[in-house]
Amino acid sequence: MRGKAYRGLRDGQLVELVAQKDAGALEALYDRYGRAAYSLARRILTEETLAQDVVQEVFLSLWRDARRFDAGRGTVATYLLSMTHHRAVDVVRREENLRRWRTSDEGLELAPDPKARVEDEVEASERRSEVRAALAELPAAQREALLLAYFGGYTQREVAALVGVPLGTVKTRMAAGMRKMREALQDAGREEQHPWTRR
Amino acid sequence: MDTPMSHSEFEELAAGYVLGALEPDDEHVFQQHMGGCPVCEANVRELEAVVGELAYAAPPVDPPDTVWAGIRREIRPEAAPRRAAIPAAPGAPSGTGGRRRRLLQALAAVAAVVLVVALSLWNLNLRDQNVVYRDRVAALERATQLANDPTAALVKLDDQPGTTGAQATVIASSRQDRGVLLVQNLPPLQRNRVYELWGVPGGDIAKAEKALVFVPLRRQGTQALQFEVPIQPGTAFAITEEPAPDGSDKPTGAPVLVGAPRSA
Repeated sequence: MRGKAYRGLRDGQLVELVAQKDAGALEALYDRYGRAAYSLARRILTEETLAQDVVQEVFLSLWRDARRFDAGRGTVATYLLSMTHHRAVDVVRREENLRRWRTSDEGLELAPDPKARVEDEVEASERRSEVRAALAELPAAQREALLLAYFGGYTQREVAALVGVPLGTVKTRMAAGMRKMREALQDAGREEQHPWTRR
Repeated sequence: MDTPMSHSEFEELAAGYVLGALEPDDEHVFQQHMGGCPVCEANVRELEAVVGELAYAAPPVDPPDTVWAGIRREIRPEAAPRRAAIPAAPGAPSGTGGRRRRLLQALAAVAAVVLVVALSLWNLNLRDQNVVYRDRVAALERATQLANDPTAALVKLDDQPGTTGAQATVIASSRQDRGVLLVQNLPPLQRNRVYELWGVPGGDIAKAEKALVFVPLRRQGTQALQFEVPIQPGTAFAITEEPAPDGSDKPTGAPVLVGAPRSA
């Protein structure tokens, strides 16, 4: 089937189609979120084949479990990307020698996106600007704790040791940082964002 | 645990939990608690959204083609056969069916010639898997179909002062109430804005009806977009800028492009 295909469908509709074993719908979701998932996995794992494995597992997991996807628990983007994060962190914990990125800010320099070719990538680069801006607004200590956990895969105890503060302080900083991020990103209205609809 | 945790301590653990950063005993305790606490469950849901969004802070890297190829290989045995049609997006009106007459009128012949010329300039690669190209093929198929419709009109939209080089043509069928918009060189928009195409009965802007909401392509080329709106022989078309994501119910600004059919 060619034609209009899946472009005008919302993420939730695509998941419903995936639940019916529609491969084109899974591919459409991969077109929307595969790059973001891979970029995240690469940043955490640094190693290419491990990152590829994680992304494949995430989308295959959706393929298998789409029937049980509960839109009330969050968006499809959240599902795919937070699962990517969890799996990547699991892998990096197993593969200790991967944990080379001790500095939380490495790799997060603002570089212009190489090629925002299509509408999805334009949206991704806008989301990137927004998230980076929200991160920049955090107090440095909160941002540091957050990023060491998020991209470094460190546990709270490890962060405490790295930074040289008590565990309780790390817990507080992480909680405050995440709370601030949630507020900063809330009015972006991250429900199934696609900039156009067909009426 | 010797001393029971206060609820605020649990709330604090939620952040570490969604980040996967809790020590095993903290994680276990939190999971136990969350099972019976809707407040913490809701909190976790909201924080998971942040975890998902933080992914966009990573430097973007294109996945190699092998990633999707591997997924496709795995799912192929279970994949359902290709569908003949996909479910309509909610709110999309179903087309007015009916048999189409095949007689070519002068106007339809002109439209067909225009399309042939336009197609040859677009240099489409039909094997391109990109969804943007798939949409364009579909729109062109629709446009070709409209060329056979004797009630189809070709409406050239002229750019208004201040718009540099934007061009658009609408091929619209008053019998089918559907059409194709061909547009290029629209100025890029701010993030909170979209373009909106209107069907304007009799040229009366107060009666304008929403036809299509879209954003311009970032690269060169012609965009081909299908739309559905009530169309009469005298219906004009206009494109305005409106707020994202869904545009407006009535035009809120001066048209960027506007055109009327030649004396109906």
